[in-house]
Amino acid sequence: MEKEIKTVRLREIAATFFMIGATGFGGGMAIVALIERRCVHDKGWLGQNEFMHGLAFGQILGPFSLNTSTFVGYYLRGTPGGLVAAASFIAPSFLMVSALSLLYFRFHELPELKSALLGSNPVVIALIVVAGIGMARRKAARLEAATVAVIAFAASTLFGTSALTVLVIAGCWGLWKGWRTGRLG
Amino acid sequence: MVGMLKLAWVFLKIGVIFFGGGYVLIPLLHRILVDQMQWLTLKEFLDGVALSQLTPGPLAMLATFAGYKGAGLLGALVATVCIFLPGTALMLFISSRYERFRRIEAVNHFLDGILPAVVGLVFAAAFNLGRTSLTSARDFILLGAGFALLQFTAIAPMAVILGAAVVGLLLHFS
Repeated sequence: MEKEIKTVRLREIAATFFMIGATGFGGGMAIVALIERRCVHDKGWLGQNEFMHGLAFGQILGPFSLNTSTFVGYYLRGTPGGLVAAASFIAPSFLMVSALSLLYFRFHELPELKSALLGSNPVVIALIVVAGIGMARRKAARLEAATVAVIAFAASTLFGTSALTVLVIAGCWGLWKGWRTGRLG
Repeated sequence: MVGMLKLAWVFLKIGVIFFGGGYVLIPLLHRILVDQMQWLTLKEFLDGVALSQLTPGPLAMLATFAGYKGAGLLGALVATVCIFLPGTALMLFISSRYERFRRIEAVNHFLDGILPAVVGLVFAAAFNLGRTSLTSARDFILLGAGFALLQFTAIAPMAVILGAAVVGLLLHFS
């Protein structure tokens, strides 16, 4: 479990997550895809496995875009890193909602931003798909793992199974697999 | 005006229940903010949900909106911090255990097992978004163009997303 982390400065964590929080329209998994791109591929701050574990924990706990930011920040610099990443990620949204709230409670109207979102939504989906393909190539390439991925997908989309249930069952599959190989080897 | 302590307490409580996550939050917030506390009218609540969806942050940004209504900018800050505090604290705790527990072999097997499931859940998120927001040929063209740019070029994803938003604005998508 040797990890070679050059100490990442808190300022850099803050700047990175502020940018993600300011431009990641689409929220949720789009944010996660952005974090993966920036932190895993561009900056090499953490490995694919660690990142996906963080995403899994984040999914269990609710707002997973925020949780994944917290996880990455903690991984790099402990509690201060986690807090800086979380606060920097939320800050742009906070400023936006505050500004929009001010306008709203003064003029009682929502700004016309709907058409902007209608333009960005399909691209956000593309972003998530691209991230998914990258993860699948590395983590679900072999038949058995690919089958698990497909089952997780189907359970979530067709039957509305919660992320927690899906992840726990997959974890048990991992345990069983480990026990089996341990016995054979 | 709403008392700051009351505001903090209510959103802390919501933050604790929030662990369930996502869309469980809408009925919950509705019950507390509109029915119990009467901080927002129903119309304000619905507009607030729409407004918080405009930002990259999670749906819980609605706390910022409700806090602003109740006690201005400071109220917005207090509500936002409080709703995210419990979950973030728990996430920090899990992150701190993560590296320690990873050294246990069984935990590692468990964690290896969830990796392909995470892949499935990522695609499920794309699928669920697509089911509601891909409705016309125009959307699929944007999806294809976005995919090509993001997969095969080095253009920053932020630029691609904002570019698509500008296209939507300029062409008055509705």
